Amino acid sequence: MKPPAEPPLTGATTRKGRGSRRDWRKAAEILFFVTPALALFALFVIVPVLTAVQMSVYRWRGFGPLEDFVGFRNYASVLTNDVFQGAVGHTMTIVVGSILLQLPLGLGIALLLNRKMKGQGLLRTIVFVPFVLSEVIAGVIWFQLLQPRYGVIDTLLEAVGLTGPPQGWLGDRDFALWTILIVLTWKYLGLPILLFLAGLQSISEELYEAAQLDGATWWQTQRKITIPLLGPTMRTWAFLSMIGSLQLFDMVWVLTRGGPANSTTTMVTFLVNQGTERGNYGIAGAASVILFVIALVMAITYQRIFLRRDTKEAGR
Amino acid sequence: MTTPTVLAPPAEPATGRQRGRRDAYSGGNPLVYVLALVIAAASLGPVLIAVLGGFRTNAQLAQNPGGWPDPWVLFNYRDAFTNPAFWQFTGNSLAIGAITTVVVVVFGMMAAYPLARYRFRGREALFTVFVAGLLFPATVAAIPLFILVSQNMGLSNTWWGIALPQAAFTLPLSVVILRPFIAALPNELEDAAMVDGSSRIGFFWRIVIPLCWPAMVTVGVVAFVQSWHAYLLPLLLLQGDMRTLPLGVADYSSEYSADIAGVFAFTSLSMLPALVLFLVFQKRIVGGLQGAVKG
Amino acid sequence: MTHRTRKQALLLVVAGALFATACAGQGGDSDNNDNGADTADDNDSGGDQGTDEGNSDEPITLAWWHNSNNEPGRGVYEQAAADFMEANPNVTIEITAQEHEDMLTRLNAAFQSGDMPDIYMERGGGELTAHVEAGLTKDITDLAADAIANLGGVGSTYEVEGRAYALPFTAGAVGFWYNTSLFEEAGITDPPQDLDDWFAAVDALKAADIEPVAVGARDGWPAAHYWYYTALRQCSEEVLTEAVNTLDFSDPDPCFLRAGETLQEIIAAEPFNAGFLATPAQEGPTSASGLLATERVAMELAGHWEPGVMEGLTEDGQGLAGNLGWFPFPEIPGQEGAPGALIGGGDAWALSANAPDVAADFISYLVSDEMQQTFAENNMGLPVNAAASDSVADPALAALIEPLSAAPYNMLYFDTQFGESIGGAMNDKIVEMFAGDATPQDVVDAIREAYEAEQ
Repeated sequence: MKPPAEPPLTGATTRKGRGSRRDWRKAAEILFFVTPALALFALFVIVPVLTAVQMSVYRWRGFGPLEDFVGFRNYASVLTNDVFQGAVGHTMTIVVGSILLQLPLGLGIALLLNRKMKGQGLLRTIVFVPFVLSEVIAGVIWFQLLQPRYGVIDTLLEAVGLTGPPQGWLGDRDFALWTILIVLTWKYLGLPILLFLAGLQSISEELYEAAQLDGATWWQTQRKITIPLLGPTMRTWAFLSMIGSLQLFDMVWVLTRGGPANSTTTMVTFLVNQGTERGNYGIAGAASVILFVIALVMAITYQRIFLRRDTKEAGR
Repeated sequence: MTTPTVLAPPAEPATGRQRGRRDAYSGGNPLVYVLALVIAAASLGPVLIAVLGGFRTNAQLAQNPGGWPDPWVLFNYRDAFTNPAFWQFTGNSLAIGAITTVVVVVFGMMAAYPLARYRFRGREALFTVFVAGLLFPATVAAIPLFILVSQNMGLSNTWWGIALPQAAFTLPLSVVILRPFIAALPNELEDAAMVDGSSRIGFFWRIVIPLCWPAMVTVGVVAFVQSWHAYLLPLLLLQGDMRTLPLGVADYSSEYSADIAGVFAFTSLSMLPALVLFLVFQKRIVGGLQGAVKG
Repeated sequence: MTHRTRKQALLLVVAGALFATACAGQGGDSDNNDNGADTADDNDSGGDQGTDEGNSDEPITLAWWHNSNNEPGRGVYEQAAADFMEANPNVTIEITAQEHEDMLTRLNAAFQSGDMPDIYMERGGGELTAHVEAGLTKDITDLAADAIANLGGVGSTYEVEGRAYALPFTAGAVGFWYNTSLFEEAGITDPPQDLDDWFAAVDALKAADIEPVAVGARDGWPAAHYWYYTALRQCSEEVLTEAVNTLDFSDPDPCFLRAGETLQEIIAAEPFNAGFLATPAQEGPTSASGLLATERVAMELAGHWEPGVMEGLTEDGQGLAGNLGWFPFPEIPGQEGAPGALIGGGDAWALSANAPDVAADFISYLVSDEMQQTFAENNMGLPVNAAASDSVADPALAALIEPLSAAPYNMLYFDTQFGESIGGAMNDKIVEMFAGDATPQDVVDAIREAYEAEQ
């Protein structure tokens, strides 16, 4: 796949082919720079990942040698498993839902925080607090807040004359996934805000001054200048958000364990459940390869549709 | 080994800009402040409930889960603070976080530099290998990783045994963030350096690193925060006095599961260092994402 | 997720749960020091191989993992190890006491890498069989022959093809724990005998505005226990034993479908706590155990670990002490199973395949009469050694001793019996039944399909 934003080819480009000695030296430099990272990456990422891939074509209970070769049977059993199919659906809901919720919210808050106001620095810090919090701790806190009847949220609702779902926000199959989506939005909204704020800093001051001279209102300025210029940042964020959502695990595990009745399983909770919980490591391996392929296809598609434009624009 | 939390550079680094003058449309509108308050409350509310919970007794918590401390009690925090295990775990977490951060930043910078500024065959392929690392759920690799670290390398129950694999899994992110920053440095800078007789390694040391400092801080903070929260790999590899804070928190909350107030105090304290770090570098991070060029 | 938290239960049997983390180690300074040494010696003279190794000068180190990471259990075990080391000066025992779920995760990794502790915990059934078949677990039939004889056999749960692989140290059964004062408040005088009584009790509790039953369906197994019991009641011993041993559900006896139908009736009566599908079994005051402990529900179907869990979930460390009653799962009118049969299970000490033989002496000591009495006196659980039955200090636990000895037969939790993979698929489907999504046939099909996938 292609990188999210391919950098422009720079100075080095033009110096191509200046004699073999130079080439040799260049190769040595490249090796010098890349080798430490590549060695570390190969040893601790590629090797274990390949082991997982190897597991996926065996029936393996988690101990003893890999002997029972089953070919693609684990893949067939994952793909025909209705819990996994449900998990794909839930994961896609989270992928799309996260972008649809966090994009406007993140943009709105970033625009707000970009205005000069009292306590701006403090507010910026505050909105990042959930993002810095560990998933597990955040999950435990929300789990307590969302308890039916005794939880803070239901207590607050009661105070204004409303009632939560009788089975609780996490105990009702119609609400659980959406509740998780809200909690995720709370947890990760800091990221788009952070990125958009950074993007806003880089928009040239002159554009705003010109707009103001033309008598444009604040909102018109944002719509005509800010948002279009933030486009590349937004598309990059959406890409990263998509990849993060595809691998969603911790928060779901703490809040619902994929329940009630498998209504919030994600692809990763499925594979952890099959692997660690049930000892079907071959099936877990197959599920992880399938997840990788889905992520790859989505990444390439996204790249083709959205990011290519940015790449071209960037080639100044 | 959580899902990578990711940051990206701006796709549009601007040149020749000044910081933060937005006199054109300043706040002052009461509506803006109301909105700001709502946002602050929504962000902080749940966290505050945990922090305040640490100032309450268990009886208060049972009676009214969302109430205010009345009276305020300090012993939950005092107990956590005076617990030597807390400091031991904090020390381990800090050490592992520091090693992870340094490795990620140094190796990440080194790898990103040729990927950004050298043209060579297989460059995109190499970059793709790193990026593909982002797409694979790290959870799957945990068990093979455990066997590798504990048996083949004999590094179980050491700081390095956790820090190196963690750094390896954060490297793709680091490369993805740093590469465009380095690429965005204008060619003129490099040409000027060459004229001064500097090699490309010299250019890396004397120009690239100072200019990319903010981006490196960003990567470093992300790496540190991820390391701070890591659970699965430390759980598999660390025992006894070598355990990190998240393991300590988990242990604490199961050992004292009735003592919710104590758990709130312990967890609140354990998130402090990561928050402090973020506060210290907050300006840097936002700055770091503004693009590499300062006029 | 099998009964992972069940044993956590045992380790939560804490009288003074408010001690600081640091003050570990001084728990069980009871009078078992001398006994301990004697027992170890006895075993040495009995087990031949053990004698050789135990008495040689070659230093031996034994790694021992257990989950009693709280007092008093932690201290009791430290003392036991110290006593054994004194009697066997060449042996060093390295104890790792850890939180239960963490221990399971690390055991899993240890199984995969082959780098296992010498002494660890097994639950028997299909899980043990899988470990034995993979060559991970040591045959102790001869090494611990005396201890096995003293226990009256380890039972089929801990045997594979007639050989013993683990020494059980605690066992118990699942039944309804209830709050006697809430039952009184609802005007229920006698605990329910059959299902009709039980439904009447549920109605009476609802009429008194009390939530009748808590179930931690989020964790799967607490809900699955209901199906195990309806199957235990509906099916004859013969049918059940055969099904459980062969796992052949291709042409299941209709009693398994009736079991599902009975469970559907129970669910249709809506006896469960609000949000039961998202309720964890034992974590925190809002878990099923927590709801019972804080008197928010009247009863819960749970095992022998429950009083200990509840003590850990109340601030005074007392649980429902004084208000806690127990009755067996109600009989079902027209059932084919024998009345009084129980579902249960326990924990046992096992050795990794390459553990030194002297490790067998140590686990023999752990299940000796003296150690089992210490175990019972410290409320660490229900002992399996009959000699320790009288030592059970907790009256709530003692209430289980009589039904256990009177039961015509006991069945191991089905999920443990079937192994993680099939057990997990079965529990998953039963939870779907609780959510109203699965039929009685679906549960049987899930077992069959998971079994076929294994072959």
